[in-house]
Amino acid sequence: MKKLPFCLVLLGLAGCAGVQPWERDVLARPEMSLDNAPLEAAIDDHIYFSKEASSGGRGFGGGGCGCN
Amino acid sequence: MKNNDNLNAALAAATCALLGSAVAAPVAAQEESSGWSFDSTLLYYGESDDRVRDISAAVAAQRDFGDERKFSATLTADTLTGASASGAIALDRPQTFTSPSGRAVYTTAAGAVPLDDTFLDTRFALNASWTQPLARLYTVSAGVGFSTEYDYTHLGANLSLARDFNKRNTTLSAGVAWSQDDVDPVGGRPIPLAQMLDVGNDSNKRNGGESKDVLDLLLGFTQVLNRTTVLRVNYSYSDSSGYLNDPYKLLSVVDPLTGDTLARVPIGQGPDGVYLFESRPDARTKQSLYAEVKHAFGTPVMHFAYRYMTDDWGIDSHTGEVRLRWPLGDGYIEPQLRYYTQSAADFYRASLVNGAALPRYASADFRLGDFDATTVGVKYGHGTTGGNEWSIRAEYYQQTGSVPQEQIIGNQARREQYPDLSAVIVQFGYRFRL
Repeated sequence: MKKLPFCLVLLGLAGCAGVQPWERDVLARPEMSLDNAPLEAAIDDHIYFSKEASSGGRGFGGGGCGCN
Repeated sequence: MKNNDNLNAALAAATCALLGSAVAAPVAAQEESSGWSFDSTLLYYGESDDRVRDISAAVAAQRDFGDERKFSATLTADTLTGASASGAIALDRPQTFTSPSGRAVYTTAAGAVPLDDTFLDTRFALNASWTQPLARLYTVSAGVGFSTEYDYTHLGANLSLARDFNKRNTTLSAGVAWSQDDVDPVGGRPIPLAQMLDVGNDSNKRNGGESKDVLDLLLGFTQVLNRTTVLRVNYSYSDSSGYLNDPYKLLSVVDPLTGDTLARVPIGQGPDGVYLFESRPDARTKQSLYAEVKHAFGTPVMHFAYRYMTDDWGIDSHTGEVRLRWPLGDGYIEPQLRYYTQSAADFYRASLVNGAALPRYASADFRLGDFDATTVGVKYGHGTTGGNEWSIRAEYYQQTGSVPQEQIIGNQARREQYPDLSAVIVQFGYRFRL
């Protein structure tokens, strides 16, 4: 029974996920990847980590720096 | 020949799509799976008024071993120079402080927000990770990280597991990261809320380092919404414990009527006012919710991201980011806009009032204050005939903050209490294959 709500969520998503494997021409473009510029993202995270009180979100909290 | 190349690329794209990676690897990776690909960058970060300046170089190497097995490693070197705000308030007279090493003094001008100009550091960081399928529909990723600077060492590890659903239109992931950082401040660790003393007197400091442990948990959800739109939502939980002070930050102790820092007569060389070292709690729990959408309308691609963060220090923040990648000749131009706003930590104090009970925790670090920040930038990327890409990005970052009205005492009202910060960021990037 515990699995039921989880299955319902997946079923719901399946409803909006009508994209077939052969329809992924646009999604396969490198710039459509959610992590297409990892180095740039890491640099941004590093700068903002050292200047602001928030970090992470997109990935792990960042850090590893005495700058904050 | 050109048509053949296009056909190959299209077939590779189709193969990639059939394999169903919603976050697809570059098409070319399928063709040259045995090679290395590199992403390199050179960064200049410079704040106005001779504050912090950082020159940073990084190179990320990735090797695709086929069958979605990938190794990547990133090496970063940073050189930091300049001055950063110490937390002490501005006065109508010059102010003298003992430097963090405890062996010299430095003086800041009348009317100026005190900056500690002894800031100088070099940092090296190395991160490596391995990603591979674990079973059908499962992907596992593991990484380690290490960084070192003069007074700080970081060691971290992370592990993530992802599972695809709905013809790989949905991905659920869970990850855990752990790190241990060692802080060994120049001149020793100040005792929290101890007073800054004369040169040569280190009775307000303890020798040796302290450590900080950070545990991060991340739950991720990625959904293909339609042929041109993908959504990602992450929830993250972060728990830090141990030494969370900034050993170089101060608070001025002020007169309850005038708001001016109490004067002090040094014996020999030393501070000419009463300044205490900051004190932060030794634990912090942060939670954040992050949502990101990518949408292609024809060739242009729009990226929108929003993050809400809240922590048990009383800080709440909102971050919004928009990027629009627009094709231009053989490349693209990408305007970028980011807005950030945060509320102050519960223990943020612009200064401490003489005679009042000393709070257990207090910090005048502007980064724990109430402020907004805006970043405006543009990136231009250009593909070369060899399939490589270079890019240049220029950004302007501006922070504007304020001290709560009830914390402003007497003469402080006519002096600058929360200086604006602005910075220029220029980044050059080059992606290539060997």
